[in-house]
Amino acid sequence: MILAAKVALAFTGTIAAAGMYTFHDGIAQVQVDDNHGTHVHIWAPAAIVPIAMHVVPKREFHKFPHEAQQAIPILRVLAKELANYPNSEFVEVRDSDTHVRVRMVGSKVVVDVTDPENKVHVACPLAMLQDVVDSLNDLKENDDSDPAGPTV
Amino acid sequence: MYDRIRRIPAVALIAGALALMPISGSAQNSAKSSDTASRDRWLHVRVENPDSKDELVRVNIPLDLAEKILPTIDKDNFHNGHIKIDHFDCNGVDFPALLSAVRDAKDGEFVTVQSKEQDVRVAKQGNYFLVHVVDKEKSSKDKDAKPSRVEVRIPMKVVDALFSGKKDEVDLVAGLHALALQGDTELVSVKDHEQTVRVWLDSKNVSD
Repeated sequence: MILAAKVALAFTGTIAAAGMYTFHDGIAQVQVDDNHGTHVHIWAPAAIVPIAMHVVPKREFHKFPHEAQQAIPILRVLAKELANYPNSEFVEVRDSDTHVRVRMVGSKVVVDVTDPENKVHVACPLAMLQDVVDSLNDLKENDDSDPAGPTV
Repeated sequence: MYDRIRRIPAVALIAGALALMPISGSAQNSAKSSDTASRDRWLHVRVENPDSKDELVRVNIPLDLAEKILPTIDKDNFHNGHIKIDHFDCNGVDFPALLSAVRDAKDGEFVTVQSKEQDVRVAKQGNYFLVHVVDKEKSSKDKDAKPSRVEVRIPMKVVDALFSGKKDEVDLVAGLHALALQGDTELVSVKDHEQTVRVWLDSKNVSD
């Protein structure tokens, strides 16, 4: 009986620890609804995105355009500094039929785009953004230091 | 009994960790809020169409964030927060000396141009460099149209900081740093029959 209780405690503890780790960065959320009946709603624990990046073959990252690679240092600073501006609205563009908002809600970067055809909502935890940008930066630095150049 | 005693520290550890989570979160929040207070200078841009309430652009940028982002941009003539001006030619005029002369000069109007098409006024007033342009061209063609007005009001310290680097460079980071030390101020105002544009600086993280 005591042994069963110990096993149950260990199992519950492991599940709880795994759950806490999985959700410690929050949840990334992508919702796309269009007028043609397409509804894509994705909720994913932010912690799995950096882990998934390790599974993606490196050659795929080398397909990034040069401009995107140039943006990595900017994104690194942005991801780090945005944490200092919770609940702030940075951009709002509105005309007769389109509305775009970029803001921080708590520790998430939230982008909302509404036009007559689509409604898009993206909420990305900053911690996830930082992890992703750091991973991309590591890849870039490895390439820069590799005299053989990118392994495409 | 022994088992129960051994279990207590593990349960206490988990309970303690769970209990501390919100405390550490609120501690982080309070640290962040005090940090936010020191980063409270915001540059706002607002574009509106007076005829249509539906059209609006609002941009709110924390100056501290801009100061940190600009040095990371490396594109064309933009490096390390500096814009390099190609073929910088002042026809022999010593630009830093000119700036220094303007800074040391008393308040007054330096340039006034009045014509049928537009009026231009460049002046210094209370440590601000002012440029006012009234474009009358459209209003002369369409009597209902109001003349377009552009008013630029830049603190002299910001102008100094912008041109504090090399002769053919504009130091944007230094300019922003100097701007952050200014009080709440309106920098640019453009009003014409199609839209109004405002650029201003204050301590609010939303534009009013």
